[in-house]
Amino acid sequence: MTLSIYKINRTIVALCFTGFVLTSMVQAEDLVPEYSGAYAQDLVWENTVTMSGDVLILKGGSLTIRPGTQVNVLPAEGTKIDPEYLSSQTELLVRGKLEILGTEDAPVRFVLIERNDLEEIAWSGITLDSAAQSRIQHTELERADIAIRVVASSPEIKSNKITRCRYGIVMQQQSHPKILDNLLSDGEGGIFCWKGSNPFLSGNTIQDHDEEAIFVDIDSRPWLDRNFVSGNAIGLALYPRDLPLGAVSVTGNIENIRFLGRQGEGVVE
Amino acid sequence: MIQRQCLVLIIISLLLPFSALAGDAKVYRGDQTLFEDTVWDGEILIDGILTVPADTTLEIRPGSRIRFTRFDSNGDGIGEHEIFSQGTIRVLGTEAEPVLFTSAESNPRPGDWGAINMMVSEEENLLEFCNVEYGYRGFHAHFAKARLLNSHFSKNVRGAQFQESQVFIEHCRFQDNLNGMQFRDSVVTLRNSVISGSHWGLRCVYSELEMTSCVIENNLVNGANIRDGKLNISGNRITGNRRGLYLQRSKGQVVGNDLSANSEHGIFLEDSDVEVADNRLVENGRAGVRWLNSEGRLARNQISENGVYALINDGSTNVVARNNWWGSADKKVIAAAVRDGSDRPAMGMVDSRYPLLKPLTQSRKVQ
Repeated sequence: MTLSIYKINRTIVALCFTGFVLTSMVQAEDLVPEYSGAYAQDLVWENTVTMSGDVLILKGGSLTIRPGTQVNVLPAEGTKIDPEYLSSQTELLVRGKLEILGTEDAPVRFVLIERNDLEEIAWSGITLDSAAQSRIQHTELERADIAIRVVASSPEIKSNKITRCRYGIVMQQQSHPKILDNLLSDGEGGIFCWKGSNPFLSGNTIQDHDEEAIFVDIDSRPWLDRNFVSGNAIGLALYPRDLPLGAVSVTGNIENIRFLGRQGEGVVE
Repeated sequence: MIQRQCLVLIIISLLLPFSALAGDAKVYRGDQTLFEDTVWDGEILIDGILTVPADTTLEIRPGSRIRFTRFDSNGDGIGEHEIFSQGTIRVLGTEAEPVLFTSAESNPRPGDWGAINMMVSEEENLLEFCNVEYGYRGFHAHFAKARLLNSHFSKNVRGAQFQESQVFIEHCRFQDNLNGMQFRDSVVTLRNSVISGSHWGLRCVYSELEMTSCVIENNLVNGANIRDGKLNISGNRITGNRRGLYLQRSKGQVVGNDLSANSEHGIFLEDSDVEVADNRLVENGRAGVRWLNSEGRLARNQISENGVYALINDGSTNVVARNNWWGSADKKVIAAAVRDGSDRPAMGMVDSRYPLLKPLTQSRKVQ
């Protein structure tokens, strides 16, 4: 009899404990903060947050993402028409200041919320548009149209892992970022320097892209220092001219260097 | 005595018209409605939302200046004061005396005010010789009919946006807006106009577009992106954008355009059926033409001096690309300029036989 009561008590305690744990889990899940819309203030993201739609950081505002944060990204379903956004896909658009402060031990991760109908490229990525001095470090980005697009901005982009994106990093409109020690792989293209952009690229590994690893248009002048470029269709595509190419390792690509403007004839053996 | 003074004040305030004169400007404060046909001639200040109801016409005379105060109730950076019309708006500026729609703020910025907003406005609206600046959407319409002539839309978040509308645009300039022009489910004629200095230049879905003699340049994403549309695009200059012309699931003709010096592709066709003829496709960064699972024909074009390739076939369909000028008539040179199934086995082939021996000369001068 005593034993039975003991068993019943133990069962009740176990059930209560299980219930408590389940309730806590549900509550914890419910407590994941969601962000969508335009923000003019200083935002801080930490632990786990969800981008349930586009996020726009207005001029004068800021977004700080603390080490170890997981940012769940909900892909957009329709064609958006709000003029303040640039893509029909979910995007993080920054006109203020962006500080993504991942560390080697605690990277920041952007994680897609999966659906059955999701295409390989499922969100827009991060755009800095005339942004204040910003940095993106130790961040994992995947399956974006452009992982990081930099327009008239000069952030520091360091030690990030960018995989399976259509384009890795795109610079336009006199952007001069420092792009240091990143890994870019398995996308269509790696790094694009367009319209008078002069980034400093050092220590990056750019590999296994279907098209160009580094593309430099006629108006741009990057400084290329000790990057490792391998396994891409074209390692370095640029117009034939003098560029600072400090010990760039461009090897093992289908074409290592392609001079532009010659429609297939600019292959450099 | 005091009670009597109060009573007089109350009566006076009730007798005041909804609009009041402040200095030289006619002022509309709060939510107001024009209950009869109205003519504006001079300075107007809108400090609220002004409605033009159905069966009412607002006519704006040459040289008038309409200013909007900034009011952003939710802090999203977008002003809400605007003109909302279900009637008819006729803006009758002249070259010498254009009509100005602008912010009333001393430090104006894009998005200070809402829009010249038309909703179910089926009589023909007219904006002629006007300058529209610092709005959220300069011109905005749903289920409306409008003509935009000789007007300049600049420093708006979006120059023009409309849905389910018929819009005729001629000799207009959409410059330095965040995004130039977007429309959906509309029938649009766009002639002799400029869209430049935006992220998106022109972007439309489910629409019919006739675009001739326009300049679309220096837009940071796409010059023109047409999705699920019917199009007739001829005699335009589409240059200096990231992609020049990006067509998705669209049908029509692209004839006699200058699609050059875009950062990526002069023209990118995706799941489309288009005749691409007599165009100049030169000096584009990655390729003159990117062809992805599309039908149609590529003929009599000049496709030379592009960055990596002249033509990329990235889809499984074959491309008929006879009678083009590739910068050379040499088979080997053309083969190197074209990337297709012979380079990447999963891709379709390109028939580039019968190349032209020199580029055709045709008029591509944009007025």
